[in-house]
Amino acid sequence: MIIEIGHFSVVIALVLAVFGIVSSGLALRTRDADWVRAGRMALTLIFILLSVGMAALIYSFLARDFSVNYVATNSNSQLPLFYTIAAVWGGHEGSLLLWVFILSTFSTIAVWLHWRTQPAIMPYLIGMECLVILGFLLLILFLSSPFDRLIPAPPDGKDLNPLLQDPAMVMHPPMLYMGYVGFSIPFSFAMAALLSGRLGEEWIKVTQRWTIFAWVCLTTGILLGGYWAYYELGWGGYWGWDPVENASFMPWLVGTAFLHSVMVQEKRKMFKVWNLFLIIVTFSLSLIGTFLVRSGVLTSVHTFATDPERGLYILIFVTTIIGLAFGSLMLRANKLKSQIEMDSMVSRESVFLFNNLFFLVATATVFLGTLYPLMIETWQGAKVTVGPPYYNTVFMPIALGLLFLMGVGPYIPWRKASQASLKKNFLIPVVVGVVSTVVLFALGIRSFFALTGAFVVGFSGAAIFIDVGKISSLYARRESINLLKGFLSAFTSNQRRYSGLVTHVGVLVLVIGIIASTVYQTEKVVSMRVGDEFVIDDYRVKLERIHDVRGKNWSAQEGVFELYEGDTLLTKLRPQKRVYDASQTPTTESAIYAKNMGHIFLTMPDVSADGVAVARGVINPLILWVWGGGGIMGLGVLLNIFRPRKREE
Amino acid sequence: MTRTTQITILVVLLALLSLFYQGLWGDPRHIPPVLVGTRAPVFEGPDVESGEPMSSEHYKGKVILVNFWASWCQECKVEHENLLRLYDKFKDHPEFVMVGINYQDEIPKARAYLQRYGSSFPHMQDVKGALAIDFGVYGVPETFVIDKQGIIRHKWIGPIVDNVYANLTKNVLTPLLSDPNPAT
Amino acid sequence: MFRLIPIPILLCFVFPGAGLAKVVDETEIDQRVREIAKTLRCTVCQTENIWESGAPLAHQMRQAVRERVIRGQSTEEIRAYFHSRYGDYIMMEPPKQGINWLIWLAPFLLLFGGGVLLWREVKGWVTRTPPHQPPPALDEAARRRIERELHENQ
Repeated sequence: MIIEIGHFSVVIALVLAVFGIVSSGLALRTRDADWVRAGRMALTLIFILLSVGMAALIYSFLARDFSVNYVATNSNSQLPLFYTIAAVWGGHEGSLLLWVFILSTFSTIAVWLHWRTQPAIMPYLIGMECLVILGFLLLILFLSSPFDRLIPAPPDGKDLNPLLQDPAMVMHPPMLYMGYVGFSIPFSFAMAALLSGRLGEEWIKVTQRWTIFAWVCLTTGILLGGYWAYYELGWGGYWGWDPVENASFMPWLVGTAFLHSVMVQEKRKMFKVWNLFLIIVTFSLSLIGTFLVRSGVLTSVHTFATDPERGLYILIFVTTIIGLAFGSLMLRANKLKSQIEMDSMVSRESVFLFNNLFFLVATATVFLGTLYPLMIETWQGAKVTVGPPYYNTVFMPIALGLLFLMGVGPYIPWRKASQASLKKNFLIPVVVGVVSTVVLFALGIRSFFALTGAFVVGFSGAAIFIDVGKISSLYARRESINLLKGFLSAFTSNQRRYSGLVTHVGVLVLVIGIIASTVYQTEKVVSMRVGDEFVIDDYRVKLERIHDVRGKNWSAQEGVFELYEGDTLLTKLRPQKRVYDASQTPTTESAIYAKNMGHIFLTMPDVSADGVAVARGVINPLILWVWGGGGIMGLGVLLNIFRPRKREE
Repeated sequence: MTRTTQITILVVLLALLSLFYQGLWGDPRHIPPVLVGTRAPVFEGPDVESGEPMSSEHYKGKVILVNFWASWCQECKVEHENLLRLYDKFKDHPEFVMVGINYQDEIPKARAYLQRYGSSFPHMQDVKGALAIDFGVYGVPETFVIDKQGIIRHKWIGPIVDNVYANLTKNVLTPLLSDPNPAT
Repeated sequence: MFRLIPIPILLCFVFPGAGLAKVVDETEIDQRVREIAKTLRCTVCQTENIWESGAPLAHQMRQAVRERVIRGQSTEEIRAYFHSRYGDYIMMEPPKQGINWLIWLAPFLLLFGGGVLLWREVKGWVTRTPPHQPPPALDEAARRRIERELHENQ
């Protein structure tokens, strides 16, 4: 009964989405404010109805109603409560419902939030959001409904994929979707700007916080995915360049380019078409990512029953939205001849342009790599793999270029940089960069990646450090306060700029973590019996015993390994080889010990009948900097979003 | 926005659209048969039922049909009937040999499978899957046809359902068997 | 995102006399198997190499690699063997030949081509832009304050 209520609500929401589109159209035609209000009402009701739909599905999971097909496929009576929530979006149908639910939430918030200040935008915003919502609701209701009954109901469910029974998986999909969907708000504002011809800087200023919010959600989502891969998949890596990861990385790259490029329009009123183009591409890539992941176009061999009908529908829908966006951009772009004034090649404006170039080439690289197997198959009927070695080779130089520009951009003046200012701002950073490379070289490090990385990180880090140091001491002296207070005073005086620099520092920390943990990872796999030990780096790992343990819905063999540094016992690591009851799927659970900002990562992938365990040890130096860097990036963004409004430019 | 930019964007979008559209109809099971046209690897191993050694060396100069299967494989059950039918059709031809290769299986289970579903042609053990890798096998069932010269002439991934059976017997096996060229 | 769980190679050693604790280590063979296995794709998984994959086929392929290493084959010989059986698909990256140069060079061509275009475009804007008007003169007090701050800042 409950699930039917949910189903019915979603059907009504679909009707209201059509109504929302029609009423926005009528609002634009008749200029009658009542139609706009009707549209707002429709959107609000859609949000309420989708909440009901979502609640009904969650209830069915909690009530363990296995007569609902989706519940029976993705959960089990023994599944712990926490993961039962994750199971709601653990499958295709539920994740689509979550997508559209978040979309309706955001668009309703946006409509109420900007209602007073942006009346002219409203019909476009409501219409556009209703169109996207309609597209997803059609897909959900006709091609992948989570509300279908399974008659007769099975006694128990099949269980959630054990790999997804993980705390990170509870938050990963919602964060990712909040990122994708968050970009729909600036996208809709951009479309409104295009279609209404109000092409000033207004839409950018209004949506600036939305963009940053979407960006931080997407970043968090991607990092959570990496964190999950790191300790759940058991090979000690966090990024595998697989199509699903790439699908989330592409909108992130263009979104980041957009985030930077809008600053030029705000300050110098240039690149209007370019910014519209970027936000359209960002949201398009979110949709294309959904298409790639959900249609089965990129699935590997021996996955059966991919349904071309579903893929075809998503393709038509995505094409409609993207076609509409690019079509309006092309038709309207000529009205947008913004007066471009460039005083010098060496200026902040031009650094921003090159930043954008690098971001777009990075996106094109990931895009091409992801689609290349499909292209080769279509053209030549052959199969080819584009895996991590490819990306590591071609992506690295682009990434390092971007990091270099990150050090240059904030310290080069708008309009024109003089020779003297270049020398003043960049002499010390260049020296620091060279010195860090030389020091690493002297320490015996020969990896080209690490050495170039050291220069770039040293350079960009020094530039930020000098800037913050100077401004803090200036404020400290001017207001006769100590350096720390001076720093705080300087920070709040231009919080937007300095919170951006905090994010940049986060990027540097992240990059150091990535370089150290990829280039200097040590791995060892040995077979051992109880009592044996192996040496990895400076550590000794001794297998003390193997015993059976039992969880709520799994049983496992657990190895107890003593970890020694010299003769000191650091800890006991307990990796497991689990088998989940319902699906009989085996997983390896890693055991991790953190030391010196790095990890000692241990798994026990196999235990033979006669008691020989396979142990796999991985040392990941500075891996905590990867997550720490992500955290600092997030902090920077929060400081930006919640900056005081008083001193805005 | 210049005309050239507009046309570029349009071309890129249309190219992507057609690529995605094509991709939707691509058969995920289509795998280009790299081995077709090359010399078949030598394969040998114990017989599943008797444990006696078997070797492809004994079949030199004959047309060999090789079928990879396993008792845990659902789709193999689908094609088993057709395999028996196919062997019956050609078994009297002096130059026809048919060999099943039991892929990554437990021998008692494989034997039980053959008893239950019927067995007329010999089967070879490949417990460690080494023969399968020699043949570039992705999964079971997969079927190969080797001509009298020892060249792989045909490969089929997936079960031999009725229309595959018809094609295999009429367009592959019959012409190869009637090929008068002596074995080299 | 759905990868299988790795079950790295069961080393083919027989350990005599259990109970006699000892220090175990990787052999040179183990290291070479890992090095080679990381460059071969598990053909039935999403983009994942046979070292990290837990699929049964990946397990067999690792064993095939090991046997060949023990037989004394070189890394290139082993990779060539797998390539002859499975084609380009088995390599973790497209071989640098023929049409594949497109994907290897595209990022750099785009960066270079885009860079040149952008440079020319910006240069055009710069030449078309009239020289920047100097800002109106400052009053004396402001000028002195700025100078002092600049001075402090040195």
